Amino acid sequence: MGPDSGNSWTPRANANGWYNRAMLAEERRQRLVAAMREAGIGHMVVYGNAWQGDYLRYGAGFAILEGHGIALIAADGEVELFLDSATDAERAELEAPQVKVHLAPDIARAVGGRLDRVANAHIAAAPRRFLPRWLTDATHNFKLDDATAMVDRLLMHKSGGEIAAVRRAAQIADEAYVEFLRAVRPDRRQYEIIADIEAYLRRKGCPDNFMIIGSGGKDVFGMTPPSERRIAAGDLVTTELTPAVEGYFAQICRTLVVGKATEAQRRAFAVFVEALEAGIAAVRPGVRAADVAKAENEVFRKYGLGEYTTSQWTRVRGHGMGMFADSKPHILEDVDTVLEPGMTLIVHPNTYHPEAGYIVLGDAIVVTEDGAEVLCKTPRQLFEVAV
Amino acid sequence: MRRGLIARSLVELPDAVFDARLDRVRAAMQAARFDALVIYTNNTRPAGVSWLAGFVPYWSEAVLVVPRERGPYLVAALSFRVKSWIERVSRLADVLHTPRVGLEAAQQIAATRADAAVGVVDFDGLPAGIAEDLREGGPALTFHDASALFALLRAVADPAEIALASRAADIGHRALSAAQGETLNDKIAGVESKARELGAEEIYIAAAPDLERDTRFRRIEGEAALAKAFALRATVAYKGTWIRLVRSVCDTAITQEAAARFAQAVALLPSDRGFTGFRSWLVEGCRIAQPLDPLIGSRLGEGRPPLPGALVAVQAALAVDGQTVLLGAPALIGRPGEASSLIADPLYD
Repeated sequence: MGPDSGNSWTPRANANGWYNRAMLAEERRQRLVAAMREAGIGHMVVYGNAWQGDYLRYGAGFAILEGHGIALIAADGEVELFLDSATDAERAELEAPQVKVHLAPDIARAVGGRLDRVANAHIAAAPRRFLPRWLTDATHNFKLDDATAMVDRLLMHKSGGEIAAVRRAAQIADEAYVEFLRAVRPDRRQYEIIADIEAYLRRKGCPDNFMIIGSGGKDVFGMTPPSERRIAAGDLVTTELTPAVEGYFAQICRTLVVGKATEAQRRAFAVFVEALEAGIAAVRPGVRAADVAKAENEVFRKYGLGEYTTSQWTRVRGHGMGMFADSKPHILEDVDTVLEPGMTLIVHPNTYHPEAGYIVLGDAIVVTEDGAEVLCKTPRQLFEVAV
Repeated sequence: MRRGLIARSLVELPDAVFDARLDRVRAAMQAARFDALVIYTNNTRPAGVSWLAGFVPYWSEAVLVVPRERGPYLVAALSFRVKSWIERVSRLADVLHTPRVGLEAAQQIAATRADAAVGVVDFDGLPAGIAEDLREGGPALTFHDASALFALLRAVADPAEIALASRAADIGHRALSAAQGETLNDKIAGVESKARELGAEEIYIAAAPDLERDTRFRRIEGEAALAKAFALRATVAYKGTWIRLVRSVCDTAITQEAAARFAQAVALLPSDRGFTGFRSWLVEGCRIAQPLDPLIGSRLGEGRPPLPGALVAVQAALAVDGQTVLLGAPALIGRPGEASSLIADPLYD
């Protein structure tokens, strides 16, 4: 069984919802090679690390955790993977058996030596700005063009199999948020709550998650990794929970109150619900990311809260999701990326509200032929947990 | 992209620890005639900046600038909204926020002296975009590779780092002891939960689910069957210090004999002669900014032998009575005339 053209190929999941990793990897490799041929690229140099690992996983099928990884992908489909972590190199031999793995403590020179042998070919790199400086130095025999935008397009436009993995990740995000509601209790420290969620995800077979948290009142302006702060009655507790299935992340953002929500908190939260609904309603093929951001922000402006849609108070109004938890396109009023079917996004009008504090609310969606399918099923409500 | 508790402890890392490290770095800068030192950080190479300032990024990237005459400051791509968090978890003179950290860092350095000599740690490995921005931000600055200078200082553990490694090893031991349940994912969940409850900054868990079939470790994604003899590896970070612990679940007498041979081999490090007859072995440690760089081992050829006083992570596979046992623990390389030593027992309970 193998991928066919477009988005029609969907791998089968097993009884527990897991997809065949090797088939997804093979499908991605074929799509990348096809894009390389179309662009006249003979070899691609693809970089990854534990933070920005999506390009590497796309091209080489390996989820890097430690050190640097660089894959050299030939237009004939052959993939060589250079890793400077001995521990990850051993892992790659098992987890990405389709590629040739090289342990290369001096990774830049090892890759450079290999590129010297194909210096006459058209070589391109993604993401070029993350490559070791030594490799991009002008003194070498080879020249590395920037093909980041080409790979970005592949990363943004998901196949049926990729969407199925994101859908499953969104389902796990919903389930994990139920665990989060159970875990938040007065006097618990933030990191103890996160421990419960990460353990839950491990039981589900999810080894990767991106999660930040905030707790407190109007003195809290955003979310960070968990701290030692203890949960207190009256706290607003915000979280962004982003588990991955087969390397595909899906995110949910929700806010809860420890105890009964105040009238001010309810009023504030209602603005976020309206903004999220407006943002999702704006999603359809052909609109720009900016249009979605504008739809969300207009709601804030309508209530005299336009100031809180600026970069002083919020980073983005949503973003792409896939092999990176925060991928392109960013949902901002100055981003012109046109939405197309198969893109997976989170729409989240997260920001500070002067009467309640920092509030988050966001759902993962997939762009369909005529709008958006919302992947998160958790109710859009200001949850209350018992004191 | 996960991270756990990121917090500064004034007990485990008092100001004096950072001051002493900075004094040594500044002395080396003076000798090299550097006006400033630049160190890059992201999720995968945090160990240079965390050593000097305590800052560990959970996301994004930053550069630490150490001027010769004033306190170090961080130029971070994280937004201004997390400035107070960065200040809480780090020891910095200032934090500046900008998407182009290289450009801003160079402009800051050049504002003091346009033709300053700047040492860049891991210059060859610096992301190309950061390097280009450094040049754009300071066209008259001269950039020099400061990797060797920094590695000589960073690679040798001070008492604070040894104490943190001991604490990380304790977390790892207790976490691995919590590997309970029927399925492999249940066991891994137990390890994950305990490590994070104990304050781990990060834990990577890998498994060799069937030691009779394959002794290589992998990350479990989805489901995996578990054999009678298996091994788990916990890679634990605590306050910027990383260790690895490996536990093989098989015959107790065999693991005890294996542990004794392992400790004997470790005692002879950095010589590799103790590992003769082992199926494989690996010594990792921080040289510059990656927490666990490969140093020497059965797959590494000449390698880069650890310096006396270095904190390292040692892993090995050896056969005892036909059973392959995997072991791993942190160790301290002896100074001249001293044996090296494990700082945590690879066995426990």
